[in-house]
Amino acid sequence: MKNLRYLVFALALSFLFVGFGLSAKAQEKMEREKKVKKSEVPDPAKKWLKDAFETLKSPKWYLETNESGYSYEAKFKWNNQYYSVEFDSLGVIEDVEIELDFEELSEEVRQNLDLYYIEGYKTYKIRRLQIQYSGDPDDLEDLFDENEMEELEVRYEIEFIGTDNDGLSQFWEGLFDEKGVFISRRKIITPPNENLIF
Amino acid sequence: MKRLVVLFALILWGNACLGQQNQFFGGLFPEAAITKRLKNQRQITFKVEHQDIFFDREDREEGKVFRHYRTDLMAFYGLKLNHSKSIAFGVFHRIQDGPNANRIIQQFAAVSRIRSTRLAHRFRTDQTFTKDEDVEVRLRYRIAAEFPLSGTTLEPQENYFVASNEPILSLQSGEFEIENRLVLTLGRLLTATQKLELSVDYRTDKYIQEGFRTRLWLKVGYFYTF
Repeated sequence: MKNLRYLVFALALSFLFVGFGLSAKAQEKMEREKKVKKSEVPDPAKKWLKDAFETLKSPKWYLETNESGYSYEAKFKWNNQYYSVEFDSLGVIEDVEIELDFEELSEEVRQNLDLYYIEGYKTYKIRRLQIQYSGDPDDLEDLFDENEMEELEVRYEIEFIGTDNDGLSQFWEGLFDEKGVFISRRKIITPPNENLIF
Repeated sequence: MKRLVVLFALILWGNACLGQQNQFFGGLFPEAAITKRLKNQRQITFKVEHQDIFFDREDREEGKVFRHYRTDLMAFYGLKLNHSKSIAFGVFHRIQDGPNANRIIQQFAAVSRIRSTRLAHRFRTDQTFTKDEDVEVRLRYRIAAEFPLSGTTLEPQENYFVASNEPILSLQSGEFEIENRLVLTLGRLLTATQKLELSVDYRTDKYIQEGFRTRLWLKVGYFYTF
């Protein structure tokens, strides 16, 4: 009887590790974020952040790698809002993202977003909404230290769960222009959660 | 995370100091689960759990060290209600000393994301059938928080940490009992579909009936979803 117990367990484990070997070949490429020390961040990035947010004390720095290369990202909370500032590999500012509530958007943007979601999905739920500013480094700096908005491109990046008419529920990241008109979307691949529920 | 580990160590130390007269045993607890996602938001999960005792306060005095405790075989059929909520029904067979046990399980789970942390709530009811024993009915609630140890999202080849706690209320032969399971886990997302975990699982029960019991398991878990 005792041997039978071990046999059952060994068989079950063998079955699982066969699956392990097969699926290891099918690994997907995804963006990767790694926390880095401030000293590892290019000086131009640190200088831009210091100039734009003079009293900011300790942002968290991340190195983001993807198929096209790598970049640096500073994340911090400023005036009760969450900021994410992205720099290229040399430390040149690329864009600034700020988390917003849906109610903080203009009437026009809200209407266009509502139209997109109502037409495209049976049900939807917005999980995270960010306004994204990109443009010349000096113009971006002026937005934050002088509150001037000149020649900046504004977009909205929205993470949402959308259920299509077939009842299929997916996690998406949608990109919308300054008026809230849809530009593109991509699936957000979430890691499996069976360890949390079984 | 360091604070959690210190807190856990303190709980264990406190138990060791205060519970010299209570039942205490533990050992190795490998577990593995495989999940196949089906069409229409459905999935099936097979899971095996195995417990071997390496330390038993009572057995130590008699010179015994290693013995098999339990092997559990489980199968679940699940349905996603939406992206974050799901229900599942399961059957369970336990191989153990004495009569083996069978169980049926009903589950509702909700997993949400708060910034970089995934928070999971699991509500379960189960009924256990063992020969010559009355049916045991249990009500369980587990809360688990998982967060990546590098970056704000979990990617393949990255490590993560999970802390979970599960109080369990049970009723058998008209007698009520409470159990608690506290688990700290260090995990690694091997690929987009596979997780490997090393956990410390601290279980206490018989709070109401006589013979307060503590079990401490070192768990090694493997989860594969495809």
